[in-house]
Amino acid sequence: MTHKEMIEKVLTNIEKVMIGKRNIAELSVTALLARGHVLLEDVPGVGKTMMVKALAKSIGADFKRIQFTPDLLPSDVLGVSIYNPREMEFEFRPGPIMGNIILADEINRTSPKTQSSLLEGMEESTVTIDGETMRIPQPFFVMATQNPIEYEGTYPLPEAQLDRFLFKLKMGYPTKLEEIEVLDRAEKAVPIDTLETVVSLEELIELQKAVTEVKVDNTIKSYIVECASQTRDNPYVYLGVSPRGSLALMKACQAYAMIKGRTYVTPDDVQYLSPFVFGHRMILRPEAKYEGVSTSEIIERILMKVRVPVDKVQLK
Amino acid sequence: MTGTRIDRRLLLILYILALILLREWLIPVIELTNSDHLTLFLLFVALSFLLALIKAKWWIVVPTKILFILSATHYVFFDKILFTQETLVHLSGNLLTNAPIIMNGDWERITNPFRTVLFFALLWMTTYLIRHWIEVRKSILLFYIMTILFIAFIDTFGGYAAGGAIFRIMVTGLLLLGLLAITRLAEKHNTSIPTGTFLAISVPLLFAVVVSGALANFLPKQDPIWPDPLPYFESIVQGHGEGGGGAKSGYDTNDATLGGSFVQDSTLVIEAKVASEQYWKIETKNTYTSKGWEQVSVDDVQTSYTPGMKMGEIAGQGNVEDTAQLLADLKVSEKFPFIVYPYGMNKVYATKDVVFQHLEEAGKYSTEIGGKEEVLDSYQVEFTEPDYSLKKLRATRMEDFSEVAEDLTQYLQLPEQLPERVKELAKNITENQESVYEKTKEIERYFGRNGFVYSQQGVAIPKAGDDYVDQFLFDTKKGYCDNFSTSMVVMLRSIDIPARWVKGFAPGEFVLNDEGEKVYQITNNEAHSWVEAYMPGVGWMPYEPTIGFNSLTDIEYDIELNLDDTLTPEVKKPEQPKKKQDKKTVKTDKDFKSSEIFKSVGTWIRNNLWLVGAIGFIVIFAGWRLFVGRVKWLPKVLVYTHRTKQEDWVTFTKRYTSLLKQLDRSGLKRATGMTLSDYATSVDKYFGGERMKMLTTAYEKGLYGGNITDHEWFELKEIWEGLINRTSG
Repeated sequence: MTHKEMIEKVLTNIEKVMIGKRNIAELSVTALLARGHVLLEDVPGVGKTMMVKALAKSIGADFKRIQFTPDLLPSDVLGVSIYNPREMEFEFRPGPIMGNIILADEINRTSPKTQSSLLEGMEESTVTIDGETMRIPQPFFVMATQNPIEYEGTYPLPEAQLDRFLFKLKMGYPTKLEEIEVLDRAEKAVPIDTLETVVSLEELIELQKAVTEVKVDNTIKSYIVECASQTRDNPYVYLGVSPRGSLALMKACQAYAMIKGRTYVTPDDVQYLSPFVFGHRMILRPEAKYEGVSTSEIIERILMKVRVPVDKVQLK
Repeated sequence: MTGTRIDRRLLLILYILALILLREWLIPVIELTNSDHLTLFLLFVALSFLLALIKAKWWIVVPTKILFILSATHYVFFDKILFTQETLVHLSGNLLTNAPIIMNGDWERITNPFRTVLFFALLWMTTYLIRHWIEVRKSILLFYIMTILFIAFIDTFGGYAAGGAIFRIMVTGLLLLGLLAITRLAEKHNTSIPTGTFLAISVPLLFAVVVSGALANFLPKQDPIWPDPLPYFESIVQGHGEGGGGAKSGYDTNDATLGGSFVQDSTLVIEAKVASEQYWKIETKNTYTSKGWEQVSVDDVQTSYTPGMKMGEIAGQGNVEDTAQLLADLKVSEKFPFIVYPYGMNKVYATKDVVFQHLEEAGKYSTEIGGKEEVLDSYQVEFTEPDYSLKKLRATRMEDFSEVAEDLTQYLQLPEQLPERVKELAKNITENQESVYEKTKEIERYFGRNGFVYSQQGVAIPKAGDDYVDQFLFDTKKGYCDNFSTSMVVMLRSIDIPARWVKGFAPGEFVLNDEGEKVYQITNNEAHSWVEAYMPGVGWMPYEPTIGFNSLTDIEYDIELNLDDTLTPEVKKPEQPKKKQDKKTVKTDKDFKSSEIFKSVGTWIRNNLWLVGAIGFIVIFAGWRLFVGRVKWLPKVLVYTHRTKQEDWVTFTKRYTSLLKQLDRSGLKRATGMTLSDYATSVDKYFGGERMKMLTTAYEKGLYGGNITDHEWFELKEIWEGLINRTSG
């Protein structure tokens, strides 16, 4: 079974429960393969949870869900050491972060302290509890959601922390036909219960390794860098994409190329993924907001301007 | 026949116009092949069209036409319309003999009746083709262009004057084109135009064609700016021919068309070891045709001489006063079947046993052995330089011609259409002189005193209707020896002094040989023409009207003592400064011979700046058009040049890059921010198929994936060829 076939199985599996969301599924799998995490920003009820659940089920992963509330403590996320009087010692009770696939629902509702406990785990793949550092089991994939409609009593994620997410995606509503299809399928049974595991965790880890083997030509690298640097020079942009952003884009491209069955990255991958990777890594100037220019528009303009490498011209 | 049918009456008009066009083909063909019976062939064409018009069935058409062909052939060769048994047998026998001849490809032996039949067959096919063009294609442009090209071609390169023909072709052809265009228009909109409406629509067309045709015919037209190409090419092919008005200087027997530029040719023709400068005569010509010279002799007296034999009283020798015998040693490198000789020739010595056939009127000594032309490459001429007594010459009077025994009328010949002003000019120049000699001298001197220019470049060729001499005397005033000498002869004749035109070589330049003797080297550049005029009581005497050339004759100034001094310098003076000037010009010519070609090219370009500019413009414009339109032809070149290359990544990259450029040129632009696969999608959408996608995938695999070996090169090549060929369409 080739890599592409394995991934295709996962995607088909997800599509059984998620109707008309092939692209979100693809991007989620991309993030999973690139060992990144996804921030979903959308209204409730469009299938965010279903998405993550289906993904977790497809790969036979341990699924955990954290519902963030203002009073949630870091220990509620990471776990806590409890004194065991019988054993006469502290015993560690792992928190929900110690799973493979985690849905962090409404992450902006909780205090920055609790947020950062999750984010540390996302970045480092380790957690430190009571001075003890513990590894989080692999694969580890966080899909956080953020509700954009409520602002009161929320703690928006600082830009530096947004950087921890590989993609920021918007789910969007299904079309009417798709929605009817959703209703159809849910009429008799809950589709998610019937999902089977199609790829084992070991195979997934193997896939994650294989992603790093996907070739990124020098021309592509310079294309990525050029796109990133253009965000820094753009007059509408206050803070451009960091080198970490470029790195993230390259990794994402590798994973996406694999999904598409290629062993090399093309400029198309870069163009397709850069809005998702760069979008939340840029801070716009107030002028942009006055003029109604969005980040996605700026990225689109940059992509139109930067020369796509079509030959082996000596790089400057 | 498919397509909408053309109205019968309209078709009749179209066929008549086509018949007129076809007639323009037949006229020159028949004229140039010296055939006859144009009417018969035209009748055949008319018959063909008529049969088409009445929509005759093929089993009527074919026998009718065959019958017509046979009876026409019969008529041509037996001059009888009705067959008789005898002629029928003869004709069929004649035609049948051709079968084996054709089988053997022995085209020369085809009999004339059969040729006629073949020509009819050709006409048959042609009419069918024209019918196809008119009735089915409804477009006659191809035939029209071919007709114009054909007529223009034979007018330019053949002996056919197409002045009227081209006008007829323009008018009929344009009418035909216009009418067919209207029918095409009707066909396009699926309507048939009623005949009345059709005629109404045709009125503006008729008006436009007739008015523009009439304007074109009557408006003044620019003369051709280059010389007539026919003699030019002829002279190139023959390698020499001043007389032909063409490319190179040198001796040529054909002087029918004088004029035109020529280039220098310094090929050595004769080396003459002789003590003093001599004019080397070859022949004279007596009939002026308005365009050039011809020798018309009904029964010229022919005398045979052998080497060493006394040549007798040769015309031009006149009254020989001096008896000092001179000797000229000639070495001729050109293959002349005649001798060139100095004035006053007595005897010719040759090593070969030749016979000199002397044609008295033409003044030519042909060299023959046993009745066949023989080239004599070296011979000796014994001659006496003629010396003329000025006293005697001054005594010549016009009335004395009546006492001359010789018949001189042929030397007074002039073309009927010679403009009157030539005669008047000659009269004006000479009316103050009494003696024939002085009159002749006046005309000889006229050119040097009246702003005439010697030039070998840009010399006009008279058009049909123009007179060579008249043009030179009054319009161009620029020319070389032929212009001057011919003009002088014509002017002399117009005032009733017998004169003739002489051809030969000028004296040339001398070098000293080892023995210190003068050897004159005569090249093709020295080919020359001058004048002989008849002085009553003296005989034929050479004159040199061409500016820049020495006078020919030694005049003994025996009159000096008797007359006042003022006269003498008058005779002598024009000679002296001329002589010096001539030497100079001749000398510079010699010194800069190597740069002569560049000079003449430069002069030519300066004289034809207009033409050069036009050609340059056309070349640049054509190049520019070719460059701009390379989207059309470049793919073929690319496919061809890439065909034999080694199939590998490098070749493929080149192909793909060239394809990108070609697509860009063909209008499918790729924005800088557009990826190749997006571009491929749009290209495939445009052309259909998935060829660009396949090529792009392979290219990306190599470019981004670094995989430059694992490809189906030949398949890719075919896809590439298929796609790039589409781009030009």
